[in-house]
Amino acid sequence: MNEDETKQITFKVQRYNSEQDSAPYFQEFIVPASQGTTVLEGLIYIKENLDSTLAFRTSCRMGICGSCGMLINNYPHLACHTQIEEFHSDTLTVKSLPNLPIIKDLVPGLNPLFENHKSVKPYILRCDEEEMEKPTAEFAQTPQQLQTFLQFTYCIKCGICVAACPTAASDKLFLGPQALAQCYRYCADNRDEGEQERFPVVDTDHGIWHCHLAGACSEACPKGLDPALAIQLLKRRLVSQAIGLRKKQEPAPVVSPPTETKPKVPFPEFTVKQA
Amino acid sequence: MRNTYLQFLQLVTGIFIAVLLGIHMVIMHLDAILGFFGVDVTEATSWESMIERAGQGVWAGLYIALLAFVLYHALNGLRGIILELTPSATTERIVTWVIIAFGIIAFIGGTYVPLALLAGQELS
Repeated sequence: MNEDETKQITFKVQRYNSEQDSAPYFQEFIVPASQGTTVLEGLIYIKENLDSTLAFRTSCRMGICGSCGMLINNYPHLACHTQIEEFHSDTLTVKSLPNLPIIKDLVPGLNPLFENHKSVKPYILRCDEEEMEKPTAEFAQTPQQLQTFLQFTYCIKCGICVAACPTAASDKLFLGPQALAQCYRYCADNRDEGEQERFPVVDTDHGIWHCHLAGACSEACPKGLDPALAIQLLKRRLVSQAIGLRKKQEPAPVVSPPTETKPKVPFPEFTVKQA
Repeated sequence: MRNTYLQFLQLVTGIFIAVLLGIHMVIMHLDAILGFFGVDVTEATSWESMIERAGQGVWAGLYIALLAFVLYHALNGLRGIILELTPSATTERIVTWVIIAFGIIAFIGGTYVPLALLAGQELS
C-alpha cells in the first residue's frame, strides 16, 4: 500500500446485543484505508460514518491502556496497535476476545480477568504491618533484583493472553496467564513476603499446573511480555518450596534516608541566542 | 501444596518410567543388540521366560515399580484432562475417587502374578 493509495477494506464485524440477539452474527462494512491506518481507526470510521450503534472499547490509541483488545482475523491483537496493511487482505474479520464473555459487539466482559488478577493479591505483602501502614522510607532493591520481574510489571491487563490461551478455552475456571504472571511478579519481588498467601490461590486444580506451556500467551502479548516464562518460574518456586529446597530469604530492609545528596547538574545554557 | 506435590510426582514418575521402560524395551525387543554385547536373552518374550523373570525378586520388583509409576503417571494425567474439560467441584470429587479406585484395582491385578510366583505358587 502506497502512502497516497486508499483501498476499500471490508470489515466483517461481530455484532451481538444480549438484549436482542440469541447469538452473535457478522455485519459487513466498507472502510477506506491507507498506509498506516489501524484497525481501531477503521472501527472509529464505522462508528462515526456508517453505524453509530457499534460498540467497542478504546481509550489511549497508543497501546498503553489495553482497552481495545479484540480478535482480528482470528488472532488477538490490540486494535490500536495493529495496522490494516499487516494482513495483506481486503477483508478483516473483527470479533470480541474469546475466553471472555461478550457484553456487546466487540466489548468483552473483563470481570473474570480482573477477579483472577485480584485473587493473587497483586501488591506487596509484608509482615511488618507498621512499616506498610506508615512507611518511613523505601525498601532496598538493587537493579539486578528489579530485573528478575521487571518485564511483568509492564502488563496492561488487556486480556489478550487469556484470549490466546488454549487452556483458558477449555477450562473456564483456569486462573489464566495474566493472573499467574502477576503472581510471579510479586513473589519474585524481593520487597515482598506474601508467597504463603498467594501459593494456595495458584496451587489448585484450575491453577498453575493446568498450564500446558503452549506459549500462546507470550506469542500474543502486545507488550512483549513472556507470561509463559513467569508461569514456569512460578512452578519452580512452588516445587522448590514443596520439597524444601528453598532457602528462606529475608524481605528487603528499609533503606535509611541519605544523609547527604550530590548537587544536581545544572541545566546547560541556551546555545541559540534569544531575541 | 497438594497439586504441587501431585505434579512433582508426575515429573518424578515420568523420569522413572523412561528408565524402567527403557530396560523393559531393551530386554524384550533388542535381544540382537544385547547379544552383540554378550548378554543372552534368548526367547525373552516366551511364556516360560516371562514366568521365570517374574519369579525373580529383582525383576518382580522392577515390574511392580514400573506398573506403579505408569499407573500414577497415566491416571493423574487423565484426571487433569477430565477436570480441565469438566470443571466443577462435584466432578472433581467423583473423578478423583473413581481414578483412585481404578488405580488400586489395576495395581492389585497387575501385581498378582509376580507376587504369586514369589510366594511359590505354580502358574501354568
